[in-house]
Amino acid sequence: MDVGIKPSTPMDIEHLYGKHHGWLKGWLCNRVGNSADAADLAQDTFMRMLTLRQLPVLREPRHYLVTIARGLMIDKARRQTLERAYLEVLAARPEPLEVSPETYHLIIESLLAIDALLDGLGARTRQIFLLVQLEGLSYVQVGRQLGLSVTTIKNHLGKAMMQCIRLMDD
Amino acid sequence: MHPVDGRLSSPQVGPPSTAQLQAAVQWYLTLNDADVSPEQHLAWQDWLGADPEHVKAWARIEKLQQQLCGVPRDVALPILSQMGVQRRQGLKMLLVLAAGATVLAGYRISPYHTDFATRTGERRQVTLPDGSRLELNTDTRVDIAYNAQERLILLRRGEILVTTATDRLPARPLSVETPQGRIRALGTRFDVRLLPGLSSVHVQQHAVEVRPRDTPQHIQRVDEGQALTFGSSQLGNLRPATADSSAWTQGLLVAIDWRLGDFVGELARYRVGYLGCADEVRDLRISGAFRLDDIDGILANLQVSLPVKVRHFSRYWARIEA
Repeated sequence: MDVGIKPSTPMDIEHLYGKHHGWLKGWLCNRVGNSADAADLAQDTFMRMLTLRQLPVLREPRHYLVTIARGLMIDKARRQTLERAYLEVLAARPEPLEVSPETYHLIIESLLAIDALLDGLGARTRQIFLLVQLEGLSYVQVGRQLGLSVTTIKNHLGKAMMQCIRLMDD
Repeated sequence: MHPVDGRLSSPQVGPPSTAQLQAAVQWYLTLNDADVSPEQHLAWQDWLGADPEHVKAWARIEKLQQQLCGVPRDVALPILSQMGVQRRQGLKMLLVLAAGATVLAGYRISPYHTDFATRTGERRQVTLPDGSRLELNTDTRVDIAYNAQERLILLRRGEILVTTATDRLPARPLSVETPQGRIRALGTRFDVRLLPGLSSVHVQQHAVEVRPRDTPQHIQRVDEGQALTFGSSQLGNLRPATADSSAWTQGLLVAIDWRLGDFVGELARYRVGYLGCADEVRDLRISGAFRLDDIDGILANLQVSLPVKVRHFSRYWARIEA
């Protein structure tokens, strides 16, 4: 479908918006089940396109819009899953943790960023990474806890670290 | 000229190579080992100094550490473990959640349905319909519920200073309600602050009456110059109000021979993010008047006046240490 690229201009986006915004909103509405979220996501999709330095020349613009919209839906679902997990963890604490809305936002953003770095790692690798990095356990302690050798722990940890720093910007 | 040969060590733009990143990870694994030797530390320094590319690769390790410091550990560990499990249940599951999650929207922590609110570090003055004045300290939420019988101010979080105005006749009583009970004004100026599980009131003019939520028959009068802390079913002892309890309205924090731990806890209310204090310096003493609009300046000065260091893991995460 993409046959080349040219600099994107507000005109192009405006044209796309006029022609496909209503359709995209409908498509999203069918999937997220309510029109307010669908409208937000449709808006975000076009906003995302505005931030692209170059807009591909599109033969099937709807296909392209759906690709972006689907990515945003997944991001949103991840965020909601994480926010729910956060509230559950807070609810389970013996004493309440008072956080301001700003701190709450920062914590959620940080958690999402870390979660994205760990995306795709196996459960065991992720667990070992978290036990060493967040719990501060030594290799020996983690090994004992999981019934694994120190060499295995280091292999898993190295793999997780490598993925994280590869995905990071300088 | 572009370096096409890996042996050329002209300054390279772009991200560190995979090999360099792998070397950095190996060094991290070594240094993080409980049995790391001084020789290994020196060898790592040699490696780091040998090539600017090594520094670049190592910078990512440090950045990762900082990112991990940016979240409260006890919360992050269960959440990130749980997210890993949910990830494996696949994309479909997540999309189903996206559809169902709208139900949760109202459950989010949200300051937006509050009548008056301040952000962390912000202060705000509000005049109420009857002319009474409220000052909101940092990170505060207040709802106003005035009706024909009474003037009720609901303090949801944070701290307020109330200056009451004379109501039209017949005068309606003015009260501040906290999760722990009610404070009824007897023509007055007073400060109410929420503490974890407790409310505290400082009276600056005239008097108030306090009724704990679960034992409203226990009424305690608090007079000018007095302070009281109470829970939902018990009253504390009356004590003299400290002169500095409303210094915040002037943008100041006044400390007189405070423990450093308490001082840092107080500063943390005004600063976004996490601000902690190590146990070994918690009992140092501090006095002075400090400007709340420059918390980072105060932290920098602490290092001069006390034997402490401020460790910044990230912009939002700082800790006072020995």
